[in-house]
Amino acid sequence: MRILIVDDDSLNRFLLVHMLEQNGYPDCYEAESGHEALSLAKRIQPELVLLDVMMEDMSGFEVAPLLKAQTDEIYLPIIFITALDDEDSLVRCLDVGGDDFVAKPFNKTILAAKISAHARTRELSKKSYEQNQQLIFYRNAVEREHKIVEHIFGNAVTNDNKLLPYLDFKLLPATDFNGDLLLFSAGPNGGLYYLVGDFTGHGLAAAIGALPVSQAFHAMASKGLSVFEMAATLNETLLKLLPGDMFFAAALVHVSLCGTRLEIWNSGMPDLLLFNAEGDVIERFSSQHMALGILDADEMGKEIQRYQSTVGDRLLAFSDGVIEIMDPEQNMLSEKQIEHWVAAQADVTVTELFERITQFSQNTSPSDDLTCVSYTCQSLLALEHQQTIAPIPFHLTFELDASAIKEGDPVQSVVNMVCSQTGMYALHARLFTVVSELYNNALDHGVLKLDSALKHSPDGFEAYFDLRTQRLAQLSQAEISMTLTFDPVKRSLIILVRDSGPGFDYQLRLKQASLEDCFGRGIQLVAELTDSVQYLDAGNAVEVMFNV
Amino acid sequence: MSLERKFSADKKQLTVVADEVFDFGKVQDFRVAFSTDIEDVEEVTIDLHKTDYMDSSALGMLLNMQKLLSGKVSTFKITNTRPQVLKILQIARFDKKFEIS
Repeated sequence: MRILIVDDDSLNRFLLVHMLEQNGYPDCYEAESGHEALSLAKRIQPELVLLDVMMEDMSGFEVAPLLKAQTDEIYLPIIFITALDDEDSLVRCLDVGGDDFVAKPFNKTILAAKISAHARTRELSKKSYEQNQQLIFYRNAVEREHKIVEHIFGNAVTNDNKLLPYLDFKLLPATDFNGDLLLFSAGPNGGLYYLVGDFTGHGLAAAIGALPVSQAFHAMASKGLSVFEMAATLNETLLKLLPGDMFFAAALVHVSLCGTRLEIWNSGMPDLLLFNAEGDVIERFSSQHMALGILDADEMGKEIQRYQSTVGDRLLAFSDGVIEIMDPEQNMLSEKQIEHWVAAQADVTVTELFERITQFSQNTSPSDDLTCVSYTCQSLLALEHQQTIAPIPFHLTFELDASAIKEGDPVQSVVNMVCSQTGMYALHARLFTVVSELYNNALDHGVLKLDSALKHSPDGFEAYFDLRTQRLAQLSQAEISMTLTFDPVKRSLIILVRDSGPGFDYQLRLKQASLEDCFGRGIQLVAELTDSVQYLDAGNAVEVMFNV
Repeated sequence: MSLERKFSADKKQLTVVADEVFDFGKVQDFRVAFSTDIEDVEEVTIDLHKTDYMDSSALGMLLNMQKLLSGKVSTFKITNTRPQVLKILQIARFDKKFEIS
């Protein structure tokens, strides 16, 4: 241990050095004045200082605080060696930053014992200093890792900005990472999907599940899956991924193109509340399923809640963090309070709700993540035409002769070809139905001359099918052509189907099919699913148009 | 390819799961699926969770099933419809003939 001895009396220094060497401290340095002590200390970094009080240039009382000030964070013991023995002087030794004192002439045994006691304290201080350094290192490393993960989250958990005008929401995480999740996406058939979810716990561990959920959600939304299927897929993914004690409460909402037809899947979230324009609760969508990531696929229920709301109604969803937030007296906010706020001001924004929540909790920081999202029912038609579509016009012609017709149904291939173009997938289900109707009408009635009246009798379906198969096998001369023309400027897709048959009296056919009939529904469907239908020539050609 | 079928434990409820494409090509499979081993069946459910595409012949097949089983089966349900399929059922006003969910 390096010991610095500061005394202007050389005899005293000699005695101390001698005594220390005898006690196993050979590494001693001497300074004969306060100034020399300070400069020497800078150079040798002593581990303990024996300091005389009375010196000529500056007293030990002045030197002690300066010595302390120029050392690093590790404890530097300063022991005063003093001839003064009045109470005040001894107290002052400690007041100015000294750690102990020994009276002159000093007692060797006591001085040696004090030195070793202070050496132990210094050792402790050194250890805690090193541990502190380590902690700082780890904290920096964790912060760096959080930054990286935050970056990845920022890029992976994304939402569709064009939906922003339709949803009012706010998320307030309890820590850097949010265990709550809000995802939204436009559906392929107009309409929109959103998901409000809450992983067990909060912070990074809770947030990590957001990555696979987000990716799967957007992929499924773009395919137009039902909220049940979305939930089932998320459940399966999370069941594999999450540890047994972690799960994901989530509510999935699909709003159809008209903006008022709601489909809701609630697994473990608080009630979603539907308010009318006056602010009264008109429906509660309570959780009907266990949170996701718990049950096996075959244990899961399938019930979706469906509701036909009206324009101006408002669906409010929030995470349990919101209703469980406490005021300083430990009273929970509760769902009732939120209902009161909306009743008092029907058009209250989510931001205003959060202001009220903050007032309620009186700024105590929340212990859980808070999320609230509000959707006010309105037409989503404008949204439908905002999808980006391929800027390239195209013209596809399919000409099928008898042998190609026998090969089988071309409808799926036609639909796939068109839907592989950017932005066209939105049409896929409508397009399938329409092309299928038109092609099958051309084939069954135009080319094969089958009469749907056959389907009247209960077994007519099979009879019709058999006759169709039979006539198809015998077919030798026939032609069906399909032409699909896409105009990216007008955003229109025109489909023309023509067959080699004699045509039919389409004026007669356009009357509505009755609900009881098992046939004749096709053209009515086509008319509803497209933007225009027109029969041409003798009725053996038909042209339909979609606004994309 | 036959369609997936499920019976409840008491054999009173039959669920038929339709394929991804539900059109006239399925007429025979569908007939077999709803009409075999149904002595005790009182309720038939058509599960459309897989079905992405449907046309008017599928609608006809559903109505035909109802006609063939009427007097025997009292409840007909259509479940797990995707939005685009639901739209077709709504246009055809099938909600008047089936319990759709």
